[in-house]
Amino acid sequence: MFSERLQILVTREQRRHLEEQAGRLGVSVGKVVRDAIDETLGAATPAARLRAAEEIVAMEAVFVAPEELERILEEERERPFSALLDERSAP
Amino acid sequence: MFVYAATDTPFRDACARLMLALGRGQVNGRTSSAVLEEVWHLELSGRVRGLEGLAARTHALMRPVLLVTDEVIERAFAIHAPRLGANDRFHAATCSVNAITKIVTADTDFDGLEGLDRVDPLDAVGVDRLLAE
Repeated sequence: MFSERLQILVTREQRRHLEEQAGRLGVSVGKVVRDAIDETLGAATPAARLRAAEEIVAMEAVFVAPEELERILEEERERPFSALLDERSAP
Repeated sequence: MFVYAATDTPFRDACARLMLALGRGQVNGRTSSAVLEEVWHLELSGRVRGLEGLAARTHALMRPVLLVTDEVIERAFAIHAPRLGANDRFHAATCSVNAITKIVTADTDFDGLEGLDRVDPLDAVGVDRLLAE
């Protein structure tokens, strides 16, 4: 719930940007501001972000065709997670 | 895209360029909790070898992720695309609610959706075009 009131001053241009974005998305200016706060403060640091990207491209997973990935996802969603755990713990 | 960027094949090159551009903040890309769920599901299934740690790294790269909100769900219900599954509808609706007009996915079911252009992560030319924008 929104319980804190924050009063800030912005430039005319910033206000115009906020109103344009709100209009484009069909939401209130307040929501645009709240989302921007979350986006700024919830983001990883630039160093952590770059490290994550470098680690991903250094992985060596096997190639699986798109259709096969979809099939695996569908099959796994239908399978109880307990079955997966049982398989993993099996000798 | 995240899976193919982690895959040890020639297909990864374009995905890797896009991934590193995201990591350097050179392109503006977002992902959602629904996409992260799929990546994690594939990783936990153990059926694609070598994906260990991909979901956590994807989150570290892409946070904050877009959420599947009530608004997204309502928008997803309104999508008319007989071939599109429930989770794919969430992806498309998440794009729509957040004014995102391009989606990077190998899933051809997204082709032809109004207001959303698909970029195939296995198509190096298409990915490079996206990077150049």
